[in-house]
Amino acid sequence: MKRAVIGLNLKYLNVAFIAILVTAVAVFLPFVAQDTQNVMIFNVVIGLMNIGQLKAYGVILILAIAATFISAIFAIVTFIKPSKMPAYVWLASNIVQTVTLTLTVFGTKKALDGTGLLDEAFMVKDFGIGFWLAVIASYISLWYTLKIAKSHSGYIVLVIMSIIWLFPIAWLLITSFRAEQGYYVGYFIPKGFTLENYTNLFAADSVIPFAKWWTNTFIVASVCCVLCTVMVLATAFILSRTRFKGRVTIMKVMLVIGMFPGTMSMVALYNILKGMGLNQSLWALIVMGVAGAAMGYQVCKGFFDTISKSLDEAAIIDGANRFQIFIHVILPLGKPMIINTMLGAFMGPWSDYIFPSMLFGDKQASYTVAVGLKWLTDFQRIDHYYTQFAAGSVMVAVPIVILFICLQKYYVEGLSGSVKG
Amino acid sequence: MMEKSTMSKSKNFFTIFAKGDIFTKLSYLIWGLSNIVRGQVVKGAIFFLLEITYIIFMIQKGVNNLKGLITLGTRQQEMVLNSELGIYEVVQGDNSMLILLAGTVTLLITLVALVVWLVSVYSGELAREYTLRNKKAPGIVTEIKELFNSNIHRLFLAIPAVGILTFTVLPTFYMILVAFTNYDGKHQPPGNLFDWVGLVNFQKLFASADTLSATFWPVFTWTMIWAVAATFSCYFGGMFLAMLINSKGIKAKKVWRTIFVTAWAVPAFISLLVVSTMVGERGIVNILLQQWGFIVDQLPFLSNEIWAKCTIIVVNMWIGIPVTMLMTTGILMNIPADLYESAKIDGANAFVQFVKITFPYMWFITTPYLISNFIGNINNFSVIYFLTGGGPLTLDYYKGAGRTDLLITWLYKLTKDNGDYNLAATIGIVVFVISALASLITYSRSKSLKNEEGFQ
Repeated sequence: MKRAVIGLNLKYLNVAFIAILVTAVAVFLPFVAQDTQNVMIFNVVIGLMNIGQLKAYGVILILAIAATFISAIFAIVTFIKPSKMPAYVWLASNIVQTVTLTLTVFGTKKALDGTGLLDEAFMVKDFGIGFWLAVIASYISLWYTLKIAKSHSGYIVLVIMSIIWLFPIAWLLITSFRAEQGYYVGYFIPKGFTLENYTNLFAADSVIPFAKWWTNTFIVASVCCVLCTVMVLATAFILSRTRFKGRVTIMKVMLVIGMFPGTMSMVALYNILKGMGLNQSLWALIVMGVAGAAMGYQVCKGFFDTISKSLDEAAIIDGANRFQIFIHVILPLGKPMIINTMLGAFMGPWSDYIFPSMLFGDKQASYTVAVGLKWLTDFQRIDHYYTQFAAGSVMVAVPIVILFICLQKYYVEGLSGSVKG
Repeated sequence: MMEKSTMSKSKNFFTIFAKGDIFTKLSYLIWGLSNIVRGQVVKGAIFFLLEITYIIFMIQKGVNNLKGLITLGTRQQEMVLNSELGIYEVVQGDNSMLILLAGTVTLLITLVALVVWLVSVYSGELAREYTLRNKKAPGIVTEIKELFNSNIHRLFLAIPAVGILTFTVLPTFYMILVAFTNYDGKHQPPGNLFDWVGLVNFQKLFASADTLSATFWPVFTWTMIWAVAATFSCYFGGMFLAMLINSKGIKAKKVWRTIFVTAWAVPAFISLLVVSTMVGERGIVNILLQQWGFIVDQLPFLSNEIWAKCTIIVVNMWIGIPVTMLMTTGILMNIPADLYESAKIDGANAFVQFVKITFPYMWFITTPYLISNFIGNINNFSVIYFLTGGGPLTLDYYKGAGRTDLLITWLYKLTKDNGDYNLAATIGIVVFVISALASLITYSRSKSLKNEEGFQ
């Protein structure tokens, strides 16, 4: 029997149908199975109702049961006479069912412990066969109903991954607004919210010179952003657009030197900077950043290499010299690369830890944000300053994330440039 | 317009001397003489001035510095009885560290002087060629103008060259030399002298009975395992994510991408510090797992060796997958769509399509990226340092090194906490060798890549 409905993909109907029937059956199997007792999901709901502890958890359970049966009914309807309407209802209730069952995994212990419904304290391993069957079959069914509805099962993976990826960020944000101080708190959502973590950071009598750290880093980053970009562009232009004796040698030497770990030469650098009287000053960071900037010419050169040489030739015929070609021909065409280089040069100092930590030692007023925030998470300070550390991190991360998302396009161009090179 | 200044290829430093006239020959001794004679007075004078400066520097300081490079100081700091006052006084000795640094600087200056010498000889020869052809050699004004045109590389590369020489080449060279000394915690200037010891550090690190070798090899092995695991987990994870977001049925691609990019755009040290506090013994992850009923006792995410190593790799995926996703997105779109169409007609499922089409294509294009990523991971300081700080610590290892330390974080600890600069430098050289080997592979590979494209 071959059936077809516009807008539906019936290839997966059988699998999805069996899976949803399994879920429906699983509801009647033990929900919690401890050594001494088996409890069905209905008993849990009724038990909670009896003691008046239904709350959010009970609602979720009821939703799960209801969604399971609605899914099953509409699955049968779809199976007998496939059409769009019942299939979409099936999909919708299947989503509700899957989400609520998943939430149950995390909520059961908190809801059931101390209610007297169970003999012993609940652990996840105590879930009965009925529950696990329901969860697994529900995911399988959702996977295929999405396909039947000509949507994409990849959404399930994407949603789960997004939650994992956003979890630490959510924790950081929420902690930065937490009213209760301290590192150790036994809950995710704070009991109270406050802006004090932020205002304390910038208060005039603050113990933590965060405003100073932030300005320090901002100054270094801004100066580096301009000067490093000039250096990189000039070097890349020369190595890409001109031919002279020793060009290849220069590139090889830079390649080899670049392979030594930068951490290795810190001590020597420190002494050189000390000899110049620059140690313990922000100038050291700027000088360091700018001096080494040209080493990172490759991506930019790779981009310049792709610009047609005939442009240069045409400009030369028009009487332009190389300098004018650089300013008037290459730079305007290299705009994405300029932005990419500036972005990189600006973001570098915010994350740079090794050298500033070496340079400034105990002189906290000169710290950059990376050194300062790391200093705050030291085991002696973490209990006292954890929420302020979170607030400080947000103050650093937010501008950078915004900047980055706005200029993402250019960064991607740089990335693919580095692949080709 | 000026004639193009190309010299015949047969000329080199020696033949110029042999075939040149008396002024050319003399200009090997008196730099710039040849230029002055042919009318390039200013240029010649500059060469000559540079020569004089170099000679004066060498007489005043340089020769001593080079001598110091051999001995690395002879007088140790000591306490001497001042008989007048009846107390012991500190008599400053030689500072081996400064002596070595001064020697290295002198070597570098000599190298630069040699280059200037070479340039002056070639420049003089060029000027001679002009006169031979009965033309006037270009004056200083023309030369300056040419700095903006045919000689623009001199103008543009001058500052980067000085910067790189002073702040990259010099310190690197210095530390390479340190690898052959006994500049360790017990030989700290100014109190003590240190001296050349040859290859002893390498021998101690690679093949000795004490804790050094017992630290080096496990750290080295873990570094390699980490680099491979980190590179490939992020590579395949990122590719998977990119393919998922790129696939036809997924809507709001930009939103999904932005979610992952946001996670990644947070400066790495922040996310690492935050995650490190989250998975600590008292951190929120353990607390939530307990509250949800998954576990009874806290999990030793960072305090047990195996757990810590796995945590590091997983957290690194959290950071690395979005980057690879961004990078591969563009490349995936370049794969010709008709390849997939015909594969579908032949009945290939998604997995077969990946194995036969997507993966070979990606592998071909991204090998150089993979290898540079591998090198980057060998040097990945922040993931280890901010997550575990190298811990859990162990007494089996040399001072301060922990079970999850990479070569690079161990190097940092040796420098910052122990003052064992010789060992740090030796490890630096080891890291260099690994990177160089990996790069050699990239280089030969990208060559073959270009050739193959030439066939297509």
